[in-house]
Amino acid sequence: MGEGKGEGGKESPVEKQNQQDAAGLAVTDFIRRRSEAGLLVTAEEIYGEFLRMGILTEKENQPAELEAFLKKTVKQNEELKEVLDGKGLSHYYSVQSMAETYARILIQREGDPLLLMAEVIRENSQRYPRPVPLNIFEDAPFELTPEQILFCLKKMADEKEYQDIEQTTTSIGTVFLYSRQYLEPDHAAMLAEWLDVGQSNNP
Amino acid sequence: MGHENEKQEGIEQSLDFLGLDRSYSRRDFLRMSGITVVGISALGALGAKAGKEMPLIIMDQAEGIVIADPTKCVGCRRCELACTEFNDGKASPTMARIKVNRNLNFGAKGISGGQRGQGNWGNGLVVQDLCKQCPHPVPCANACPNDAIVVKPPTHARVVDPKKCIGCKICQRACPWEMMSFDSDTKQATKCFLCDGNPKCVEACPAEALIYVAWRDLTDKIPPRVVPTAPVAPAKAETCNECHKK
Amino acid sequence: MAKQGGWAGKVLRVDLSTGRISTEDTVEKYKDYLGGTGIGYKVIWDEVSPGTKPFDPANKLIFGVGPLAGTGAPCNGRTAITTLWPTCWPNPLVASGHMGGHFAAELKYAGYDAIIIEGKADRPVWLSIIDGKVEIKDARPLWGQGIRRTTLEVNQQLGPEASVAAIGQAGENLVPMSVVMNSYSHSAGGIGAIMGSKNLKAIGVRGTGSVYIAGNKEEWEKVIKLHLSLLGANNQHVVPNKPQPWAEYYSAGTRWVAARGNKWGAADPSIDTGACDPHNLNRIAYRTNNAAYFLGDRAWKYTVRGNGCASCPIRCHTMLKVPAVASKYGIPEVGQNTCAGLNFGRNFFKSFPDGPRGETAIEACMVGMHLADDLGIWCNYGQMQRDFVKIYYDGIIKNKVSEAEFKSYSWDKYEKGDPTFLFELLPRIANKEGELATALGLGTGYMLERWGIPEEDWRKDYNLVYWKMGHPKHHSNEDAGQCGVIINTIYNRDVQCHSHSNFIRNGLPIDVQKRLAAEIWGSADAVDAAGAYTPMNVYKAKMAKWSLLRKELHDCLSLCNWMGPWVASPLKERGYRGDDSIESLLYSIATGDKKSREELDKVAERIHLLHRALTIRDMGTKEMRSQHDTIPDWVFVDKSNKPPFTKGTIHMDRGDIEKGMDMFYKELGWDEATGAPLAETYQKLGLGYMIADLGKKGLLP
Repeated sequence: MGEGKGEGGKESPVEKQNQQDAAGLAVTDFIRRRSEAGLLVTAEEIYGEFLRMGILTEKENQPAELEAFLKKTVKQNEELKEVLDGKGLSHYYSVQSMAETYARILIQREGDPLLLMAEVIRENSQRYPRPVPLNIFEDAPFELTPEQILFCLKKMADEKEYQDIEQTTTSIGTVFLYSRQYLEPDHAAMLAEWLDVGQSNNP
Repeated sequence: MGHENEKQEGIEQSLDFLGLDRSYSRRDFLRMSGITVVGISALGALGAKAGKEMPLIIMDQAEGIVIADPTKCVGCRRCELACTEFNDGKASPTMARIKVNRNLNFGAKGISGGQRGQGNWGNGLVVQDLCKQCPHPVPCANACPNDAIVVKPPTHARVVDPKKCIGCKICQRACPWEMMSFDSDTKQATKCFLCDGNPKCVEACPAEALIYVAWRDLTDKIPPRVVPTAPVAPAKAETCNECHKK
Repeated sequence: MAKQGGWAGKVLRVDLSTGRISTEDTVEKYKDYLGGTGIGYKVIWDEVSPGTKPFDPANKLIFGVGPLAGTGAPCNGRTAITTLWPTCWPNPLVASGHMGGHFAAELKYAGYDAIIIEGKADRPVWLSIIDGKVEIKDARPLWGQGIRRTTLEVNQQLGPEASVAAIGQAGENLVPMSVVMNSYSHSAGGIGAIMGSKNLKAIGVRGTGSVYIAGNKEEWEKVIKLHLSLLGANNQHVVPNKPQPWAEYYSAGTRWVAARGNKWGAADPSIDTGACDPHNLNRIAYRTNNAAYFLGDRAWKYTVRGNGCASCPIRCHTMLKVPAVASKYGIPEVGQNTCAGLNFGRNFFKSFPDGPRGETAIEACMVGMHLADDLGIWCNYGQMQRDFVKIYYDGIIKNKVSEAEFKSYSWDKYEKGDPTFLFELLPRIANKEGELATALGLGTGYMLERWGIPEEDWRKDYNLVYWKMGHPKHHSNEDAGQCGVIINTIYNRDVQCHSHSNFIRNGLPIDVQKRLAAEIWGSADAVDAAGAYTPMNVYKAKMAKWSLLRKELHDCLSLCNWMGPWVASPLKERGYRGDDSIESLLYSIATGDKKSREELDKVAERIHLLHRALTIRDMGTKEMRSQHDTIPDWVFVDKSNKPPFTKGTIHMDRGDIEKGMDMFYKELGWDEATGAPLAETYQKLGLGYMIADLGKKGLLP
């Protein structure tokens, strides 16, 4: 990182450290702002952005250098976290602006939406516990298309590993999903009705 | 010599008020008193002490200003409460230096707006009235017979000096936007002083309807509420000729 | 002399019979009762004898606010109005209504902590309060006008900043199901006809004074900011309803509905509510949109902005602009309200052609608000609407009213879900026109009596959620199992307590709720997961006691029980903890009367006990458990006959509830057999002066 400065093109250790610190701050700030906007960041994106901003100029080996620098920065900085997607690519986020829950959804969204849906449904059924309305998968951060959702529902009905995923529909027609492994059908139905209809009927 | 001592004292007092800690040498003083009317604003008390010779005319522009977005105001009035509770230890919307309640129900035109005007009873728009930290000529300061409205660093907000204010309320009649307040406990005028650069109202607004920005002149962009009825104090009016004479 | 902090200092007493206006010293006379309902109950105890009827001139009406009203403490806009209740059946007893808006603050700035209205004027009057100048004015020109016009005309006299509490035609006509309203959309149910019976059309207040903070202003600022930092969305829901970048948890059904893409669509230009990170205190007002919460996502495009009480950053009222209703129904395109007020019109209908969250439902809300908030009709927490659906579809209306009257309503429009039907129904209720309108206007208890319908029928019906004495439940077992049931037995109208439901619905996973519950009420067993109830235990009784005492405390301090207490927060770094001593911190600094959380809760317990004593005295029996603290049958019924305490059912078990009432009474120092407070409890809580009188009347256990 950093262009040569100082006399004779050689940097002093102090200058180098300062540059590293400045670079670290720039990276952290960039990641933090992206996290606030609900986005993960890859090394490639940071590289492109820094090029655009003029912090870096194109050089051979630079992307690899940046990646190494990133990993080091993340290690040293408690605020930054790294997550790997299905292909082993690193994504970064700031815990100051993004919760791990959200980051996980974003990561899994890149991979198999079926896995994503199943994990969300199972986690909600176990933890809260409650069923999950189908329509949240259309909104951010899931942003699955209706076709994808339909496809996943079909697959979940057919495949053995997803036999625990079931549906319940409220009195006004809203579909909720739950995992039978953690929620009994009666309980899931009651909760879905309560969340969708009961709570607003009891203001 | 006595006159010089008086002036020296006056400078020290004003510097105290302004929070400046240096002690000025005689040379400094001569340099300062030699500069034109522009510098006198920083020597508010001195100006008054010197009486007819140097009435206070504010020339410095403010550094900052609070700007409001009426389309975001949700009518909670937390700005009014923060202004007086955190500055004066009492909740007093009447005295608040940001004024919302008077426009809240029916809009700035008041009840003549009926149900089709602004405010909660109309289309919902709530206009927040704010001090424009007017550039020269500053109406409230110029109307004050006691030079009690001065400029205060670092924001250069126009501020009521409690040591000088006699509570005559002439300033209230001078402001075209009716932004002067009166503290019925201290029996003195008070006005927006930008909370020394960290306005409490901006901090308090839950709808992000207020921002604190670099000063710009809004006096010709926001219609006045009233026709002001206070004259410029005669001693000050004379000094207009010093700069504006033909 | 140092200025009194918190309290304004004076209680205003107005005798409408004689025209006499006087004041009392608040702190001297009422400090032990704080304000709000505390002053209300005390006045009723001292000055209104048992057997008085609501519309008698001897009944009193106490508009009470608390030491925090008018300050910068978040959520303090409430006025509590205490009186003998006109819909309380079969015998009127003491109860209170509450209204938000700006009235409480303005009253404090005018210099008053309460207004006691006595007697009856011999002609229509309105009360004018301009700081220290109080006058009884001629209201004959206003009589017969709706709340909107009345308010406008009073503001013309007092100036646009004045706050006006007015009644409409319903109150004038002594319709018990009537309200008083201020600040356009803020109503107190049950009060309209009491004011009407006194010929009091409105109270207009203009206050130019201040409320002083006794303590150090920097300390005050710190506590305010602490309080703000702990706030969630409406009902203190601390978790967003959809995943947000900053949020560890999310839960469908919370009122935290802000999100990127959810805009105040009718703002000019529109405003995106965004992700609303809880650390950003400048975006608290965007978290809640109750119109969207109740009416579905289509309400976003009609949302102008949030609105609500003075000092509150939450803005639980939504201002809607629906252009279509102007030409379609001839009503203003702008309307605003929240919860039951927002849904007033919609709740009359069984269904709409385009579903419960379609355009017609919104139009029904707009028509309903326009009519009800001007005529001044009360819904009794939606009970009028639920009753209406039942009596129509069960054929009761057809049975009880004349053929001519029945034919005079367009029932086809009603069945189709046509909002124009409301134009036929609501004005008639306000004007007592016809048998149906008159019966509905009486309130459920008196309606059943009038029509010879056994109350038993209502107590059995699961859908009516009727509780007792003419009023419905208000957050009972569906919200917090036994805790909810116990709470609903205590008052003389619907309990209006949200302490427990705010917590249970806040969106946190059950393990987090249990962790917090252990800290607040002594054990994780105090709370159950929804629909996974467990048998009664002493911690649930403690939670019930805490819920009620805090509700009473809020009604005395002027804090909003629809927001507080603040025992949970949206902050992960705090483990989602709130602060259970927020009330005492605020109270101590504002008034200078330093009280710990426990000490202030003791004062609340005193006031709560006073309410109990009043109920016992005016019922003339100590047999509260059997005569008063009753529970309707539907609470114990499950439609699919699942046993209690199994997953998926919320119904209760009678034996378990009996145990619950035992434990609850024990927590409060009340006799378990009768539910009447023990003499030593009165003594301990500073009401020892009541013992002699109660003893003489045989009202002590």
